[in-house]
Amino acid sequence: MSTSNLITAEELAGAIKMAGEGIKKKPGLMKSTARSMELVHKYVERIVTAKDKGKWVATHGTQQPLEIYEAMDVVGLFIEFWGVISDVVKLESVPEALSISASTGTPGEVCSFFRNMDGLMHAGKWPHTDFMLYATSSCDNVKAYYTLGRRYGIPSFGLERPYLPYTPKAMEHWKNEHKRLIAFLEEQTGKKLDYDRLKEAVRLSYRLTELSLEIDKLARHVPCPLSAECFGGVLIALRLMPGTQEAVDFLTALRDELQERVDNGIGAVKNERFRVLWSCFTPFWDPTLLGYMQQKYGAVSVGEVLANWRGEAKWMLDPEDPLGNLAYKTQLAPGNCQYASSEDWAENVVDQARRLKADGAIFNNNWGCKQASGMGTLVRDELLRNCSVPSVTLNVDVIDSTFVTRAEIESQLDSFFEMIETSKVYKERRNLQ
Amino acid sequence: MNTPLKALDEMIRLTSPFPESVTVKDWKATGRKVIGWFNPYIPEEIIHAAGMLPFEVTGDNEPVQTQGAEAYIYSNSCSKIRTCWQMQLDGKYNFLDGYVSSSMCDQDKRLFSLWKYYKKLPYMEILYAPRKRDEEAVQLYLADLEDFRNRFSEYRLSRIPDRDIANSIKVYNRGRELMYELYELRKRDRPPVTGTETLEVTKAAARMPRERFNELMEQLLGEIQSTGREIKKARRLMVIGSDLHNANQMAALEALDAVVVVDEMDIGIRRAWGQVDTQLPPMEALARYYVLGRPVDKHNWISDGRLEFIGDMAEQYKVDGILSEDVRFCTYNGWDKFDLKKQMEKRGIPILQIDLEYGHLAGAQVKIRADAFLEMLESRAS
Repeated sequence: MSTSNLITAEELAGAIKMAGEGIKKKPGLMKSTARSMELVHKYVERIVTAKDKGKWVATHGTQQPLEIYEAMDVVGLFIEFWGVISDVVKLESVPEALSISASTGTPGEVCSFFRNMDGLMHAGKWPHTDFMLYATSSCDNVKAYYTLGRRYGIPSFGLERPYLPYTPKAMEHWKNEHKRLIAFLEEQTGKKLDYDRLKEAVRLSYRLTELSLEIDKLARHVPCPLSAECFGGVLIALRLMPGTQEAVDFLTALRDELQERVDNGIGAVKNERFRVLWSCFTPFWDPTLLGYMQQKYGAVSVGEVLANWRGEAKWMLDPEDPLGNLAYKTQLAPGNCQYASSEDWAENVVDQARRLKADGAIFNNNWGCKQASGMGTLVRDELLRNCSVPSVTLNVDVIDSTFVTRAEIESQLDSFFEMIETSKVYKERRNLQ
Repeated sequence: MNTPLKALDEMIRLTSPFPESVTVKDWKATGRKVIGWFNPYIPEEIIHAAGMLPFEVTGDNEPVQTQGAEAYIYSNSCSKIRTCWQMQLDGKYNFLDGYVSSSMCDQDKRLFSLWKYYKKLPYMEILYAPRKRDEEAVQLYLADLEDFRNRFSEYRLSRIPDRDIANSIKVYNRGRELMYELYELRKRDRPPVTGTETLEVTKAAARMPRERFNELMEQLLGEIQSTGREIKKARRLMVIGSDLHNANQMAALEALDAVVVVDEMDIGIRRAWGQVDTQLPPMEALARYYVLGRPVDKHNWISDGRLEFIGDMAEQYKVDGILSEDVRFCTYNGWDKFDLKKQMEKRGIPILQIDLEYGHLAGAQVKIRADAFLEMLESRAS
């Protein structure tokens, strides 16, 4: 079985650095594009150099309190991101890792974020990991952390999150789970958590939340100032490096650039014809698709549900109680709706669609995602019922570029945008009648 | 040819036609309510104590075409979920007054949401199914159970007293005890019942009043005792993996020269396993039993116990091989596959892993593989 296309952490770091340099020379892109690549480079570099710097690496899933990691010299390695960035740098890596995973007997129907890790671990190409950390949210695949940890001798810890998290008992339980995580990390690292460091990380993380909400407000402008090349910027900062000054600096710069563009009436495209909401995943499997949509249809991606905060997200309840704040943060955090009812997911999408003035929604029915496959119709119906926003479902694998052809996607998008443009609702919304 | 078991025939008669059976019709005719439940983290005892009939929502022996359901649940999801939703769309579950599920798996949650959104029933509830097996998990689950009991009490307009729950626990414990006895009999060199018959028994347990089920179980065990029934087959098999309600699937396997002597299904041995502690306050006892009292299942994060249990049962029941029948798109079974195979290999137990669709009869491909597996077992034995 070939392993020649599998990308290592070192190769990723080098390729991202080069890409970042290349972007700086490319005209017409938002300035923040290069900064986002610098942030990603920093992230990967931290993983590569962790051991030399006396730090630990935790391979982890979604909804993790990364601020605790930050305060304990634990460097996070978010498995979903690893597949996403592999696609940006070398599209052949993920399919090869998936084949290796299949060769071990892991069925092709489970999530490819996890199968990518499975394949890379089997081939010895996954970055060195000291422990695996996970939580009930978001999905059943988190079982893989313990399973792979057992297989490769990596200790693991899971935070158990109640399904309905808003009762006082549930909140208390969730906060206690954070304490158990700290106890686990203290045991593994032999270091005590410095609560002052944690408070500072939580403060920075809250600032990041505020900035991302400011950016959300700016993205509501018509035309939308946020261009495809920076679409993932907020998600990168929020999901990879909360609790760091670097992430705050990046979002501050992005916010300022967007404000400047709004002030000067600059949109992502000259003629914004459609505002698109991604109602289930960003199309990570094809890093060029967003740009193509902008160019071909004048379709600007204005938001994606997994980057959506609930309401005003005021999760800093008491600066002196960092764990309480973090526990509450999870309830409001982007992606939290993944571990909730379909109606809750739909409510988040509807909120976003209204706020961001979406003309259409694209639902990626990610092959390995059982959360998605059971709710596409309900989300579609809620969008239509509440704000007359039509949806299209793309049958894809979120990171496997070989799962569906680009031609097939383009053909579906052609029909979708044509359908929107001729609809009465669209014409009314755009005052075209 | 063994004599048919009269008690089993009666169980089948009472639970047919499926799902709106003789039992359901009789029950509803007296003005009483039927509450559907979906996965093994729903304590039937609480529904029973409320004076309602707990009824497990499943498919059965007839395959269901799920095209209608696929307009709501895409085809890359579990076929059990699609089957149940299709049956709802076809009106087969119109007799339900309520539906209780848990967050045991992503797809169970999605089915619950669909039901709530498109076909809301007078009572609907979803509980948390802990992934861990420790004291914190018990307490977390207990809090959910108390909320369930409170809301369910409101629904029936009177508090479900501890006394009634304690009584239901006794009734269900007796059922478990009787089913366990049946499982013990299958350890015999020549077991008295087939796997297909046992599956019909355990299915009936979740489709009829447990008191009546217990009576029939006692009768069934008596019949076995008095008739000296023996199943004479060359190979002893264990079936593990997904819950498969279509007994014809198992019958097809047993049409070969093999008998299924044990399983590892939620609707099989887990239903017969252990006892709820009657010395504890009833709600706490239920929480402890449902979180800790049964063998580790596929949804628990730490699956070592599940793999160990499978190996131990395979040895205790002296099986020649294990058939792992996994409904496609089951994430949990998917992640256990690799280590399951390795561990069974270490124990010297042959294992065949088959992916299939819920409710559908084993096709030619499956039959060929099962046949080849049995041939391999035979050559090992000789």
